[in-house]
Amino acid sequence: MSASSIAWTRRRVALGAAWKLFIANRSGLIGLIVLGVVLVLALLAPLLVDDSQLSVTKATGGVLDPPDGEYWLGTEENGRSVLILTWYGAQVSLLVGISAALLSVGIGTIVGMLAAHFRGWPSALLLRVTDFFLVLPSLVLAIVLSTVLARGLPTIILAIGVTSWSSTARLVRAQTLTVEARPFIERAQVLGGGHAHILVRHVLPAVFPLVLANTTLTVGSAIISESTLAFLGLGAPGTVSWGGMLKSALDTGAVTAGAWWYLLPPGIAIVIVVLGFTLAGRALETVLNPNLRGRR
Amino acid sequence: MVDVLTTTESATDLVGGRFGRGGSTLRFVAAKIGGGLVSLVMVVVLGFFLFRAMPGNPVRTLIRDRPGDLEQVERLRREWSLDKSLFGQFVDYIVDLAHGDLGTSFKYRQPVTDLLWDRVGATVLLTGTALVLSVALGLWLGTRAAWRHGSRFDQLSTATALVLWSVPTFWLGLIVLIVFAVGLDLFPTAGMVSPGGVDGFFPSILDTGHHLVLPALTMVAVVYAQYLMVMRSSLLEEMNADYLTTARAKGLRDDDVRSKHAVPNALLPTVTIIFLHVGFLISGAVTVEKVFSWPGLGLLTYEAIQVPDYPLLQGSLIVLAGAVIVMNVLADIVYRLIDPRVRTS
Amino acid sequence: MTGPLPSAPLSSASLSSPDPLPSSAPLLEFRDVTVDYSTSRGWVPAVRGVSLTLEAGDTLGLCGESGCGKSTLAMSVLRLLPASARIGGQILLDGEDVTTLSWGRLRAVRWAQASIVFQGAMHSLNPVQRIGDQIAEPLVLHGFRGPVRARVAALLEQVELPVSRASAYPHELSGGQRQRVMIAMALACEPKLVIADEPTTALDVVVQAQVLDRFGDLVRERDIGLVMISHDLSVLAASCRRVAVMYDGRVVEEGTSEQIMTAPQHPHAVALAAAFPTVGDPASRLVPPSPDGLKAPFSRPSRLKAPFSQLPAGNNDGVLEAEGLSVVFSQRGGGTVRDVDGVSLRCESNEIVALVGQSGSGKTTLARTLLGLQRPTAGEVRYAGVALPRSARALRDYRRQVQLVLQDPTGALNPRHSVYEAVAEGIRVHRIDGDERELVAEALSKAELRPPEKFFPALRSELSGGQRQRVVIAGALALQPRFLVADEPVASLDASVRGEILALLLRLRTDLGLGALVITHDLGLAWTIADRVLVMYRGKLVEEGPTEQVLLAPEHDYTKLLISVLPQSTRPA
Repeated sequence: MSASSIAWTRRRVALGAAWKLFIANRSGLIGLIVLGVVLVLALLAPLLVDDSQLSVTKATGGVLDPPDGEYWLGTEENGRSVLILTWYGAQVSLLVGISAALLSVGIGTIVGMLAAHFRGWPSALLLRVTDFFLVLPSLVLAIVLSTVLARGLPTIILAIGVTSWSSTARLVRAQTLTVEARPFIERAQVLGGGHAHILVRHVLPAVFPLVLANTTLTVGSAIISESTLAFLGLGAPGTVSWGGMLKSALDTGAVTAGAWWYLLPPGIAIVIVVLGFTLAGRALETVLNPNLRGRR
Repeated sequence: MVDVLTTTESATDLVGGRFGRGGSTLRFVAAKIGGGLVSLVMVVVLGFFLFRAMPGNPVRTLIRDRPGDLEQVERLRREWSLDKSLFGQFVDYIVDLAHGDLGTSFKYRQPVTDLLWDRVGATVLLTGTALVLSVALGLWLGTRAAWRHGSRFDQLSTATALVLWSVPTFWLGLIVLIVFAVGLDLFPTAGMVSPGGVDGFFPSILDTGHHLVLPALTMVAVVYAQYLMVMRSSLLEEMNADYLTTARAKGLRDDDVRSKHAVPNALLPTVTIIFLHVGFLISGAVTVEKVFSWPGLGLLTYEAIQVPDYPLLQGSLIVLAGAVIVMNVLADIVYRLIDPRVRTS
Repeated sequence: MTGPLPSAPLSSASLSSPDPLPSSAPLLEFRDVTVDYSTSRGWVPAVRGVSLTLEAGDTLGLCGESGCGKSTLAMSVLRLLPASARIGGQILLDGEDVTTLSWGRLRAVRWAQASIVFQGAMHSLNPVQRIGDQIAEPLVLHGFRGPVRARVAALLEQVELPVSRASAYPHELSGGQRQRVMIAMALACEPKLVIADEPTTALDVVVQAQVLDRFGDLVRERDIGLVMISHDLSVLAASCRRVAVMYDGRVVEEGTSEQIMTAPQHPHAVALAAAFPTVGDPASRLVPPSPDGLKAPFSRPSRLKAPFSQLPAGNNDGVLEAEGLSVVFSQRGGGTVRDVDGVSLRCESNEIVALVGQSGSGKTTLARTLLGLQRPTAGEVRYAGVALPRSARALRDYRRQVQLVLQDPTGALNPRHSVYEAVAEGIRVHRIDGDERELVAEALSKAELRPPEKFFPALRSELSGGQRQRVVIAGALALQPRFLVADEPVASLDASVRGEILALLLRLRTDLGLGALVITHDLGLAWTIADRVLVMYRGKLVEEGPTEQVLLAPEHDYTKLLISVLPQSTRPA
């Protein structure tokens, strides 16, 4: 057995064990299945939905019609099908959610690892900045960012990503500190390893699983943030998103007119998707952090 | 966005990191206040940076979004002395801030400071009520859920908490609004007081209370779940402690072991975490105030977004962020006084 | 300035009340007790049919390694086991069968009839409650009539703690003080039976002796039955009249402590007794004495490959020295602590030097400074005549000469890495020439893990404690060093495995000319394998010399104190 094949074998075994544990967790499995379905739907949307369905000018339905045989979830104020819009909206939510989460976790992981690994003033500075962002009302900050920059998907992704990295940073920092307190880090130092060796060979593999779980959970919260920003009017113009639909529902008086079919689907869609990510993320955490096994 | 459900960092680690051990109380208080001041300075600088120094120059945005609104542009140019250098603008900004001058609102044509001051009370009332209720509810339910770990009650509480966490606050507000205010007509649909006002001290309190119910309920529903989960996980962590075995060995009943030993230990770090996430509560206030037309800082911020009213947004950011920072400094100091573990020997 | 030395406790003459009265029923009786735990793999037995008796006023020691079931057996007396445990057989406490008691009666029995002194007092005390309140708690609970405060004060006095400490919190007390609090708490309700679970494990030797002594006195005065649990046979033999040795859930041998220590029958008991050698006994001294009483430096061709080899060769070769070394730490809240205070020493390769001292003597800091992990405040460390470099690159070269073996072999290995990767780590960092596979296999063989290929893919969790330590040693050997610094290399290992690792270190010295600086609190270990002994106290080296001289004819008061607090069975006659 060559050296690298030993390493890969043990990685595969570890992955297999983790997968089995994950499956055993019923809620995690449900979450994963839900996500799978949503992902497939989102990807299929541009293929199965004709562009004309989204066009305001070509809409053929009545204004705010209740559900009937043709429009299963009724129509919105422009006559478009609520069902089609909800389905199409999944794209934006997933895109923004995942991108913003990746950005946020990326920043957080780097900051957290560096803050924990190095001592002295760089670390203190990073910690202070992290604490600062942790405490700030992130939505308010995201609102300001979205207002100041040009409206669009990149802006939303940036706004969410830049304001929510601090909890990941704290988590990664705590985890890095825990790992680096273990004697095998000192042994690596004594064997002659430098910063890069310790960070890459020991810290990163130890931190990565939790970062993965954290990313999954962060996607859920990013989707909520995106929908909130869209609801407040800061969404990307020209895109269909669940938050935007709800804003329209409120603005056009659909709410007070009792058009529940406009109000419920986007919201329920958000809940289902976020719940899916949350359940999957929590299951991942349980699998990867043995301390939590008895506690969930 | 900052969520409490992902705290896999144990509660006691978090606390240890914030408070350390030993050292005199006076030095600790001084350090925390100093830290708070630094944070406030950072907020002020951030406020300036976001609006003046960001690549998307707000003036350009203003022009682009509203071509032809030259009067607004001129007003902004004058107020923010946009013809001066960046450094010059910063100096003016600081000087104005020192005088309590946060600029003039575009929309209302009034000093921002006055506008903020008018609305502060309403937001404090709403968020304060929501905070107290959700902390009480979350801690109580979390304690029971943890002690009956794995039971029906625990599973139900956890499931409810997870679902509520996945619900966007504004959507929950809309649903609550439709069902209770529009549908059942039990509560008013908007505002803090009935139109036309109410005579008499007591009746006006009741009236405000009546208006407070739905928005507060919405906020509590979303936030209590987080506190429940934190308390639950803190207590579960504590339940493995050895000193509980000692307590049982002494002959204490199970309930007493929990309430006299486990809960006090679990409570302290939980409270710290709760205060760390007050910012989340305030963020929630923005959307809830919008949905229920509650005349607070949140609604003001929403209205500012629509214009966009930059001076008002800047003022809002500074005040809201500053308030959270001050609260955290206070919470840290109070915690330090309560928890014997971090007190000096 | 170092303060006055702690006074040596008087040696305890009698170990229990003379002639324990045979009462009608023994105080504690285990009748064929079994304990099983329910796990995902089915029922796992922890205790398999144990029968023991204890009379009032008598003392019994339960000895065994981790996992033998001794703690489980003790916890079962008050039914403090987790819900997943199932107790079979009978446990009679003063005639009552504990296993069938109602909850109400059980709660009344707990603490009032039998109490427990738990191990790890730091975690067994409520961190946010004052210790006075914690001692008072069982008093109030069991209906003590009379002034509670006064009783708490009396209890504290009996364990020789100042009464003012009643208002302190656990973290404000030292380890020894906390243990005394646990003892005071256990005696609060005047129980008939006290169970002490590893009462001295976290304490250093001098404090350990004091605490055990006081405990013994108190128990004797009150005619209390005592069950003491420990993995350290010598401690039990000194404190208990009878000892029962447990292995894998069964009692494998039982008798008076003298019998067990001097003439054990069962192989496991033999191994345990051998792990605690008597200092001064030539049978346990593994180092062959050299004709002139000192080790002659072994001359071997130098195998240095790093820049260090460019040094003038001579009898400076492979010598680790420290001169006037001081390490001062600033304390939180002002003030400084001199962890290492003006230490000068010299170690040659091809000799084993034991650095002996209590916890807090600065020996670990000294070790880390010698390895370059800690910068000295004053003085310097020299290897082969050259001062230790500061730059990372030069330090790395130094690391090829001097390596480290840590105390906790489990923590020293990354749980995700296989044995192969752990041993290859040093090779990869230094990019040593040669076939990596061969180098790893060679290192594992030298550490006596054969056949090495079998161990390549193993993970940390699949190895025993002794095997893990061998892997750590192999990882160090892979760099072909001249010197090993071993910080408490066997303290975390089970008693029966200690001998193997020590023998390995000795063999590495004779076969490879590998020198070692072994840091330990255990004088028995020094006696077994060390050529020279250095004694450290509060940062200073107070005595040094050949092992026989230092341990059998000590000059400094502190050395004499260390020897005097050795449990009687291991003390030089």
